[in-house]
Amino acid sequence: MAGPDPRTGWLLTERSPDGATAPHVARVASLGRALPATTLTTDELMGSTRHHTRIDLERLTGVRERRVSVGDETSLSLAVGAARDCLTRSGRRSEDLDVVISCSITKYRDDLVQWLEPTTSAAIAREIGATHATTFDVSNACAGTLTGVLVANNWVRLGMARRVLVVSGEYISRLGTNAARHVRSIASRELASLTLGDAGGAVLVERAERGEPGITLTGFTTVADHSRLCLAYPARHEAGARMFTKARAIHQVAIADTPVLLREALEAAGLRIDELDHVIPHQTSTRAIRKGMREVSEKLDGAPRNPVVVTVDRYGNTASTTHVVALVEELDDGHLRAGDQVALVALASGLEIGVVLFTVDEGLVACHGDDH
Amino acid sequence: MATIIESVGVVGGRGRRARSARKLADAAAERAIDRAGLVADDIGLLLNAGIYRDGNLGEPALAALIQEDIGAHPEDPHDGDHGTFSFDVANGTCGMLTALQVADGFLRAGTIDHALIVASDADPGRHMAPDFPFAASGAAIVCGRADGPEGIAGFRFAHGPPLVSPTAGPATSGPDEGLRGTVAFERGRNRLTIVQAPDFDAAAGAWAGEVATALLGDHGLTVDDVDAIVANPLTPPFLDALADALGVDRARVGTALEGPPVHTAGLGVALAAATEGAALGGRWALLVSAGAGPTAGAALVRTGRR
Repeated sequence: MAGPDPRTGWLLTERSPDGATAPHVARVASLGRALPATTLTTDELMGSTRHHTRIDLERLTGVRERRVSVGDETSLSLAVGAARDCLTRSGRRSEDLDVVISCSITKYRDDLVQWLEPTTSAAIAREIGATHATTFDVSNACAGTLTGVLVANNWVRLGMARRVLVVSGEYISRLGTNAARHVRSIASRELASLTLGDAGGAVLVERAERGEPGITLTGFTTVADHSRLCLAYPARHEAGARMFTKARAIHQVAIADTPVLLREALEAAGLRIDELDHVIPHQTSTRAIRKGMREVSEKLDGAPRNPVVVTVDRYGNTASTTHVVALVEELDDGHLRAGDQVALVALASGLEIGVVLFTVDEGLVACHGDDH
Repeated sequence: MATIIESVGVVGGRGRRARSARKLADAAAERAIDRAGLVADDIGLLLNAGIYRDGNLGEPALAALIQEDIGAHPEDPHDGDHGTFSFDVANGTCGMLTALQVADGFLRAGTIDHALIVASDADPGRHMAPDFPFAASGAAIVCGRADGPEGIAGFRFAHGPPLVSPTAGPATSGPDEGLRGTVAFERGRNRLTIVQAPDFDAAAGAWAGEVATALLGDHGLTVDDVDAIVANPLTPPFLDALADALGVDRARVGTALEGPPVHTAGLGVALAAATEGAALGGRWALLVSAGAGPTAGAALVRTGRR
């Protein structure tokens, strides 16, 4: 296999096949998502701001609308909904899960009660009937789900687990509700909170049959010099949380570092960027996504075969679930086909940058066919 | 090739540090790295398993802030070196054990040479938890890889039965998960509430004993083959019940700590005590934890000594 030694590259990298240290290959077997029924348009949200802001948020971010819980969904219920959707599509039973990893930032149950312990993963496992599964939570901001996939891939490759459900539910739109009380201008550090939407997402990672391509590479790093560019914590005098973001600074770091790290990941996987069929980045704003992709194409001297996937216009930034929300949409719409090479690119507070490269197989496509 | 525990660092909460879980984690991490004879840049993976932190920060992962504080490759990527990846793992008082299993996977795969596991808890401040019940404390473990006979041989985790039986009625007062930590908006502000069933530690100890015994059985061993038992939480009811469940003398499972209980850092505290007392001599060591859920976990470590 081409590429640098995993311990000399900048990313914490695992690539398959790698029989020297890992006997198996992991595959993405199924995906599931859960979306609240209620749609909140950007016009409606900006019409609710306490101050007259003069901000054209839709023009600025491309976010036209997002799904929101109106008390009918919580982080837990969205995660459970996504987990059930994922299992139903796959035809797998919850009893067959070895591990359940919950990756949400928000951990709300009973409307806005945030559960720090016991884990959300244990509650999800109990709700879906995965009674024998090992459970734990991973928290890594908007890179949480892909971090969970990184761990799942590692465990399946080594034979530590055969089937792992990585799941997240984000009831995060209340940050937008809180921000609407405080945002005064385009310079507000709470502006990014207005782009948030609610969703659940689940990924079933399981051992591939011999010869199946599966997950080619996972590569992650934390550029911790920028760890304080986005901070979120419970509000002092309002229900829920508030988030403070230096969006311009994050964007600058992302533009500078992502092409370098994507190049490293592709070289390690023995791929060129024009051999990728689809790139699905974290969904923050249409402008940032498209500018970032132009930068990648320029620096890597090529472009993926299809336009970069954008769903932020319809669903907003759904935090740790954006990649799954987009993947399900692409699969259900028939845009992903067996054999397609997909790059999921994480960008999150921390500052976390990560890449998951995988090949879509026939089993995954079948999970998202017309029958589903 | 197996994962070995290279060093342990423990710090107690005194002065200003007691008010910051992050600073406790920083200090424990620096102590463990120094004891391992390493520098922060040697760490390829940093996992934080602490729960109660400054302001109940939800984003980013506290691990990222710790990475920046201790200077483990915080800079932008560059050629000729590796970076550090950080994230948080949560599993209550089993969190350090879970993080050890996560680190074990990446070490055995050859993805990293050294992992740092940290855990700390402290009153989150901002008047959110006036009755915070746990000791301000931090612990860190540095892990590496070795070709010899020693290293981690296996893990086992399992959920126990709820503390309230729906058929027999309440077996205890308190949450059926045994321990519950929540943040909710009450009386005009967000407050952290931690409640624990009075007999939870005893139930957790009994459950931990079952899980540990099952792990030993996975490897064809019994508790008689084990030379050292490192248990967490270090409370009298837990240790009593664990010793009963394992069928060993109470003195073999560790010494209870005085004062408020140490929470997620407890496994590191117990490990440091065992290491300092040379209790990890012999062939096999058993690490055991139990916490909210109830959930219990165990790890079997071959020490390589004969």
